Amino acid sequence: MKGMIKAVKRTPHLVTSKVGMSKKSTDPEFDDYQRKFTSMEDLVEKLLKDCKKFNEAVIALFTAGQGFSEHFSQIFHPIVGEYDLVGKFPETRDTVQNVDGLATVWGELRNAVSPELELIESRIVTPVKELQGVMKQIRKSITKRDHKLVDYDRFNNSLTKLRDKKEKTLNDEKNLFKLEQDFEVATNEYDYINTAMKNDLPRFMMLAVQFIDPLYHSFYYMQLNIFYMILEKVQGFAQGKYDVSVATAQIGQEYEEKRSDAWERIENMSITKRIISTSKMMQASRQNSTGSGSTLSATSRAPPPMRSPSGSSFTKKAPPPPPSAFGSKAADPAPPSYAASTGALASAATKRAPPPIPTKPKPKVEPPVQYVEALYDFAPQADGDLGFNRGDRIEVVQRTDSAEDWWTGRLNGQEGVFPGNYVRDV
Amino acid sequence: MSWSGFKKSLNRTGTTLMQKTGQMERTVDTEFQDETTKFKTYEKECQALQKESKAYLDAMRAMTGAQTRIADHISNFYQAADRTSEGAMAAHAYKQSVVELDDVIGRELDAPYRTTIMEPIGKMNAYFPIVNEQINKRNKKLLDYDAARSKLRKVIEKPSEDPTKLPKAQQEHDDAKDVFELMNQQLIEELPQLLELRVSFFDPSFEAMIRMQSKFAEEGYEKLGGVQRYFADNVRDDYAEGQLDAQVERVLQEMRELSICGAA
Repeated sequence: MKGMIKAVKRTPHLVTSKVGMSKKSTDPEFDDYQRKFTSMEDLVEKLLKDCKKFNEAVIALFTAGQGFSEHFSQIFHPIVGEYDLVGKFPETRDTVQNVDGLATVWGELRNAVSPELELIESRIVTPVKELQGVMKQIRKSITKRDHKLVDYDRFNNSLTKLRDKKEKTLNDEKNLFKLEQDFEVATNEYDYINTAMKNDLPRFMMLAVQFIDPLYHSFYYMQLNIFYMILEKVQGFAQGKYDVSVATAQIGQEYEEKRSDAWERIENMSITKRIISTSKMMQASRQNSTGSGSTLSATSRAPPPMRSPSGSSFTKKAPPPPPSAFGSKAADPAPPSYAASTGALASAATKRAPPPIPTKPKPKVEPPVQYVEALYDFAPQADGDLGFNRGDRIEVVQRTDSAEDWWTGRLNGQEGVFPGNYVRDV
Repeated sequence: MSWSGFKKSLNRTGTTLMQKTGQMERTVDTEFQDETTKFKTYEKECQALQKESKAYLDAMRAMTGAQTRIADHISNFYQAADRTSEGAMAAHAYKQSVVELDDVIGRELDAPYRTTIMEPIGKMNAYFPIVNEQINKRNKKLLDYDAARSKLRKVIEKPSEDPTKLPKAQQEHDDAKDVFELMNQQLIEELPQLLELRVSFFDPSFEAMIRMQSKFAEEGYEKLGGVQRYFADNVRDDYAEGQLDAQVERVLQEMRELSICGAA
């Protein structure tokens, strides 16, 4: 009720100051703090929202990973009454034998990730919500400060007006005295809270940094750990079975090479084609019946285009060996860490898994970006080639010891392979 | 529905009814039933696989996307609070690395994922409606055949006055039989083939999936891992020991004691 009365009393001033009829005081120092504080409020809100999104995405990733591997495994299991898939399709032996393994891996991963997500919930989300609570309190104080400022301004205005009045009535004189008193009270109250604000807000900002530092570090390690869990499990599973060190560009390429004629054979079946009309189908069948008798045409298909670098256009130099040579060599040093901390996952159930990177070469010097200069023009001969002109500077992504090899490089935002003997170091 | 289509469907309804009430003989075909059952199982698995593979791709993007935004908020938080602190620098490095990660995942993994996972699964799933249509058609033709056969039998059992009736019924019967048998034969021959081919069809996707899962984790781990060098030496151990949480709690308590928090 008291608040209501106050609000009603303040309204006329708010209106007049809005339309510019009465003066409004400002405190640039406070305004600056408040601006920062407001943006922090906004950020905390967003941070909470995106933490939630992140958690959801991680759950979705692990669930889908598990679901995918399970259904994939089902497809590679005999369906009602089939038997011995390996015997029938020896070339797919690896897959048939490993599908269950991957499903297990993802099942384990999904179990392992839940404590990690709980950590995020209890160590990140909860404190941030508490911070939000603190900030709401401060926001209340700011509102209070604003009200006090309004009081200060309106008494100030009335007082000035009254003082400026040339001929004062008796009533005016009485009012003047009262206003002076009110004004003094308002000034004191406003000064008190405004000073408190200006003292405490910077202090709060400082504390906010002290708050976000450890929180951000924790969150960072939790995120890192999630990647580490997948990395360790999947690579551990793939070890000795699948070469996972190939470049991303090569994944699609090798897939195309391994793709069997199953695509074409399915395409050529009669049951995978839309029926146009039964009578036409009968006609076709009658015509065929003299021939094969079956409408099934198992045309064998030319193997998928293999990449064979044609050396014909190279006159100056011997053509570099085919790029398949560098698939096997990608001796990409695995992240330095895992050997030492393989136990990290096992202990995830305990309070928290130690974060995965054990040795920290503090000022870890990144290998500097290396450039080479093109000695000749090179026109791409196949997909994945990096074409360049003489004199171009190419960023080297991957190189081998021999210049008679295909190297990987980047130029104008494109990545591709090129013959190492076409360039020289700069 | 065309007029002839409508007539056909009406006749077939009649046939089904008569078969249900036992007035008309119905062809029992266990071999075909077996094949369709397997096919249906396979169809269900493929559809589930498609759903999961899409969800996986989306989740990968959503995860790195959320990380990018989180890094953005944290970095901005430092900007508002104290842009010169050491943490602000680390936050900036963190932001850069997750932006890079998000970029790499989007740019380098998206295309191979589509080529090796989404496309083959999508292609296989596109065949199912067509094959189902074939199965439905075959079932309809079977009804026609049953009806024609029963009609023919009646004419034979009770020869009509009209001498043209028998040859006509015979002709209808033969036509229906031919159509049905052609479709039936195709399905019985090809359904098992389609099922068998699934193994070779999906085989290379498996290796690709493992490689991409590994790549995703590796990129994430390496890109993020580099940020650590901006941290003070003790941070990692403090995290492991739960010290960081204690710090957070302590600061929150200090905040609550501020006079502007209503403590005074």
